[in-house]
Amino acid sequence: MSEEKVTFATQAWIEQFHAEINKSEAYRQAAKTWEGDFYFIIEAEGALTEPVYMYMDLWHGESRGAFIAQDPSARSPEFVISAPVSTWKEVIELRLDPIKGLLTKKLKLKGNMAKIMRAVKAANELVRCTTRVPTDFPL
Amino acid sequence: MRGYLGKILVVDATTGELRDEPLNETYARQFIGNSGLAARYLYDLVDADTDPLGPYNPLIMMTGALTGTRTPASSRHAFVARSPLTGILGEANVGGFTGRELRRVGYDGIIVTGQSPVPVYLWLSDDRPPELRDASHLWGLDTYNTQARIVEELGQPRARVACIGPAGENLVRYAAILNADARAAGRTGMGTVMGSKRLKAIAIRGRGEVPLSDKERFKQAARRALIRTQGDFSVQVLKETGTSGGMDYFDMVGNVPFRYWTQGRFEGVDNLNGGLIAETIATGHTGCWGCAVQCGFEIEVPQGPYPVPQTDGPEYETLCALGNQLLIDDLGAVSTFDLLCDRLGLDTISTGGAIGFAFWLYNNGLITPDDTDGLRLTWGDPAPVIELIGKIAIRDGFGDVLADGSLAMEKRYQASGMAVQINGLDPGMHDPRGMSGMAVVYLTSPRGACHNKGDFYQVEAGHDFPEFNIESGDHHQESGKAPTVARHQNYRAMVDSSGCCQFVNMPFRELPELFSAAWGEEVSLDDLYTAGERIFNLKRVLNLKLGLNPRQSEIFPELWTRPLSEGGTQGFVPDWQLMLREYYEYRQWDWETGRPRPEKLVTLGLGDMADELWSDHEGEGC
Repeated sequence: MSEEKVTFATQAWIEQFHAEINKSEAYRQAAKTWEGDFYFIIEAEGALTEPVYMYMDLWHGESRGAFIAQDPSARSPEFVISAPVSTWKEVIELRLDPIKGLLTKKLKLKGNMAKIMRAVKAANELVRCTTRVPTDFPL
Repeated sequence: MRGYLGKILVVDATTGELRDEPLNETYARQFIGNSGLAARYLYDLVDADTDPLGPYNPLIMMTGALTGTRTPASSRHAFVARSPLTGILGEANVGGFTGRELRRVGYDGIIVTGQSPVPVYLWLSDDRPPELRDASHLWGLDTYNTQARIVEELGQPRARVACIGPAGENLVRYAAILNADARAAGRTGMGTVMGSKRLKAIAIRGRGEVPLSDKERFKQAARRALIRTQGDFSVQVLKETGTSGGMDYFDMVGNVPFRYWTQGRFEGVDNLNGGLIAETIATGHTGCWGCAVQCGFEIEVPQGPYPVPQTDGPEYETLCALGNQLLIDDLGAVSTFDLLCDRLGLDTISTGGAIGFAFWLYNNGLITPDDTDGLRLTWGDPAPVIELIGKIAIRDGFGDVLADGSLAMEKRYQASGMAVQINGLDPGMHDPRGMSGMAVVYLTSPRGACHNKGDFYQVEAGHDFPEFNIESGDHHQESGKAPTVARHQNYRAMVDSSGCCQFVNMPFRELPELFSAAWGEEVSLDDLYTAGERIFNLKRVLNLKLGLNPRQSEIFPELWTRPLSEGGTQGFVPDWQLMLREYYEYRQWDWETGRPRPEKLVTLGLGDMADELWSDHEGEGC
């Protein structure tokens, strides 16, 4: 029996992502010293007509909170990574390595480069957590 | 010929004679500059009987074709000679300031032959004729003090100095030449050749400009190139986190060596990371002339067991060669090793290779404290490393053994095939079991197992060059990857010849524009790429002339044939023989002899070399 898919860039999707992160021992180990919050911005594309701001507060190998920000200006997270839906789809389906995504500017990063470059393994585990969320992309 | 200074300074260190020689414009047109042009000169001057430490082995300092211009990060220049470490082409590429200064004083390059009876240094200034000056009082000084003393005694605070330290004087076979304090022309023992000539330093102060055909067109192209390079993600990473900013990623994919290439995982790797350096011990950035990246760190470690005064910090290769590889994760300790190597004038990669191999021999029972002057070589212990670096530089006791390099150590201790080296050179710190393309790079690099004559690990990390059909694939891909490696080597030879730093990833559309504006004739990207391929093949032909026997030396070290049970390599060992065969086919190199086929050489405009190379094969010459 196939799992029911949830639509990417929705509150339901990010809640499942949050749960997968907190179930992942690999992520807990890789990100055990990480302290920092994010906006993952999903830029409008296809059926997504407005950009979506997914907020995540990642702390010492756990997700302390994750939600769709209705008012993006209400927070100023330490890091912002943005890309259109199709690029996020490539990342989540493991067709685009996040580092290559940054090199080729398919993923755009704002934030402390030194800190993010110390957490590539953690980022990789984060991506693996997304693959465990059965996802339907609004394309 | 616009774009060049048109002069080479020829120095006979034996007689003290100095003379100007016109730049060979045919060579310059074919091989552009830097190590390519220098290799072409070297081809005429050496053969298989040339003693690398004898008077007839020339030391050639050559600038890139764009060195010293407004081109971003165009400080690069090369020192080239027959290597005393490998016996084949020796070349060490470096930034800093002396390349730019050489062009400002009016020369494209310097060729030093002979051997001076006493220590000397070369002084070039545009307000007086070149001269060799006595350096007896400088002999024995470290590189930092040598640079400072020469600047002081010349009364020329803006003079730039490239020099050797005690390691070069003592003919350690992997001695470096340093300028701008710690910018090292490190690989293949070019400092050793300089020491053999008793040439302590080259000091330069120039005020001139590189003559360009169309200054305004050049300026505009350089400005566009600067803007484009600054938008490059890897440039931003380098700017903020230095060359070791990618350590976490490289560890994840199995690129970083631990315990002399025998261990796949090391917790301490997280402590040797550019991001951590930036956040803890960095006090500023350092870099080369004309570079907006400034990828070097200035650091200070005020406390702890290994305090370090404010100085240049270790970069990726050093952090791995003298840190991860030895299971040492103390940033203060590794920074201390780095400072010692710089001051003594040692290549940190080959120093780490020799010390790492000594640790491996010791911990596998092949040598004992009786061999090591009583030192106990325990993985993770910084104390013997400090001792060994000092001993190597002055060839003291066990240090004298290490000073000849890991291949010589392998022979001495009857550990055939166990040193991790190819063609006599210790590899850069990029494990080919993590990124298979590096296997081909190391096997075929013109100066031994070098990571920079095609830094394919950058491609493997995702840095594509679609203009040349260079695209990253699976890290463990075997069949089909070698042609991409070859194209990348050609591309890098092209960039090298320009004198631009490979870290800035010069935008393709601007490079031909810069050359066209400099030379006053239209130069295409294809022209430049073909020059890169020509240079790569020239170096191959030169190495064959020097006695390279590829079928005996292009062999994977034993330790690389063993899978690692944990870590990012995931137990992978590349099928290096398959990849090498495919590489030869793509290159049009003959498998049995290792020679480029005559038709390939003719296509590249190297028909005269084809005749010489294939003269023993009736009917295959041209």
